[in-house]
Amino acid sequence: MGLKPYRGIEKKQARWGFIFVLPSMLFFSLFSFYPIINAFYTSFFDKRALSKAPPEFLGLGNYIRLFDPGRAANSLSFYNSLRATMVFTLGTFIPLLILSLLIAVFISNLSSNKTKKFLQISYYCPAILSSVVAATIWMIIFDPRGLGNQWVNALLGTPGVDQGWLVDPVMEQVSTMVIYFWKYIGYFVILFITGLASIPPTIYEAATIDGATKSQVFWRITLPLLKPTVVLVSVMAMLQCLKTFSTQYMLYSNGAPRAPINVITFNIYVTGIQQQYLGRASAMSVVLFIMMLLLTLLQFKTTKSENVDY
Amino acid sequence: MQIERKITLPKIGMWIILLAMLFFTLMPIIFMLTASFMTSRQILRMPFSWIPEGFAWENFAKAIQGNDQTYIFLRNITNSLVVSTTVAVTTVLIASLTGYGLAKFRFRGRTTIFMMIMATMMIPFEAIMIPLYMVIMMLRIQNSYIGLILPFLVSAFGVFQMKQYLTTFPTEFLDAARVDGMGEFGIFARIVFPNCKPVIATLAILSFRSQWDNLLWPLLVSQSERMKTIPQYISSFALERSTDEGAMMAAALLASIPMFVLFMSLTKYFIGGSAVYESRKG
Repeated sequence: MGLKPYRGIEKKQARWGFIFVLPSMLFFSLFSFYPIINAFYTSFFDKRALSKAPPEFLGLGNYIRLFDPGRAANSLSFYNSLRATMVFTLGTFIPLLILSLLIAVFISNLSSNKTKKFLQISYYCPAILSSVVAATIWMIIFDPRGLGNQWVNALLGTPGVDQGWLVDPVMEQVSTMVIYFWKYIGYFVILFITGLASIPPTIYEAATIDGATKSQVFWRITLPLLKPTVVLVSVMAMLQCLKTFSTQYMLYSNGAPRAPINVITFNIYVTGIQQQYLGRASAMSVVLFIMMLLLTLLQFKTTKSENVDY
Repeated sequence: MQIERKITLPKIGMWIILLAMLFFTLMPIIFMLTASFMTSRQILRMPFSWIPEGFAWENFAKAIQGNDQTYIFLRNITNSLVVSTTVAVTTVLIASLTGYGLAKFRFRGRTTIFMMIMATMMIPFEAIMIPLYMVIMMLRIQNSYIGLILPFLVSAFGVFQMKQYLTTFPTEFLDAARVDGMGEFGIFARIVFPNCKPVIATLAILSFRSQWDNLLWPLLVSQSERMKTIPQYISSFALERSTDEGAMMAAALLASIPMFVLFMSLTKYFIGGSAVYESRKG
């Protein structure tokens, strides 16, 4: 007897919970799950945007074409995109990780709260500019007559040399890394400062009383305890770098050569939207998705086993 | 203590790195500020002088007039404001509804639904843009606000953030309101939603900013000049005016003002917002 009205309430509650969740479920089904399934499906067809004829089924044809060793020499091949993406990701995220960690440790050790806050906000400033604005500013700095050359030449003592920031294949890649690094450094510094703040000060006090030096404290205490944050931040930074698009797009559309900075996202854009090979672009999307999926799973796996209890 | 005050070699090294980084992060922004008042000749003079000789106001006039003197800049920045604001509002609304449903109600499939939503975080937008583009073409909503906004109505990260925040919300308040005869939507609108202000502010800013910065999706959706957003405007302006650096910097500066204003007035939500990502671990 007493159970029935209670069950009624519970049922009602369940219905309301479902109603509240419904809009999101619809949204994610239509705009996340359907498109990714569609990307897999389309990647097996020779689909063109403007053609009215039903697309021809290619099986793994699009993938075979992407990874065809015969095309590896082509400067705009998918191999080159994989290489460009790898170079960009490693060249950006490693300096980003090391420097943001170092700076976060420095800032956390400062005694004045005002200085701490000032530095954090200043480092964060580039992050509020959009990527397009960031690229525009740096394109002028990297002009042959611009500040980039003036300063690098002053530092290296090589007056009048043009480093070819936006022309030389190697320097062009360095330029994209500099722009990206500049935009994201403050963001990662703050992530690390938050991670550092979660380490209880008593551990440091104990270590200092035992006579540990600053570098010992860093290598033996801070770094091991910070490991979950380090893993999280590095995977996040890598995922960010894999998705880079605007910087490369801006540099290319202002006359820089395409091949050195033809990262996967840019290749997808050119192949799918400009050249209208939707099937081939979908195959690239699937490869990008799988790469990022593996990275995320790796992050989950490492953070699960590395959770620290203080 | 005395030890703290000593000036040591590592300390000097530390300050050199901190100040070098300070210079590196701020210099380009200061460069944008001064260069927007300079003529191209001044900007590319060797050596560069940081103080503008007079104010080249015409840079700003050119930036607003655009390539064809159509003042399309005003229309494009309005587009960006409309899209970014709408996305911020819908993200906050839908994410808080969903977060509330997941945090405070028990129903069959709740965990599965939550896991599914979290799984979408692994799907990068760049990997689904081609199918989404086909959908937009099929629905014939290219060159429209709906087309620009639709794929960003809510984010999985927003749902996660709201759920985490609302899990700690005292259930007694909700039960008390139910006993008083308040409807479920009333409880959400009048009790839950007003009590989520910090997380709502953070989420709104993050969503606004991500759309303000979005170049890729508008490139696919907006082909007509009138429907372009501000990143596209800057990009095509920089291309057409590639020799007029002053005007380029003026356009870049104008496009950054809304974000600067937001940042200056709501710094703690920006900085807090990036820190929230921390909670993703574990």
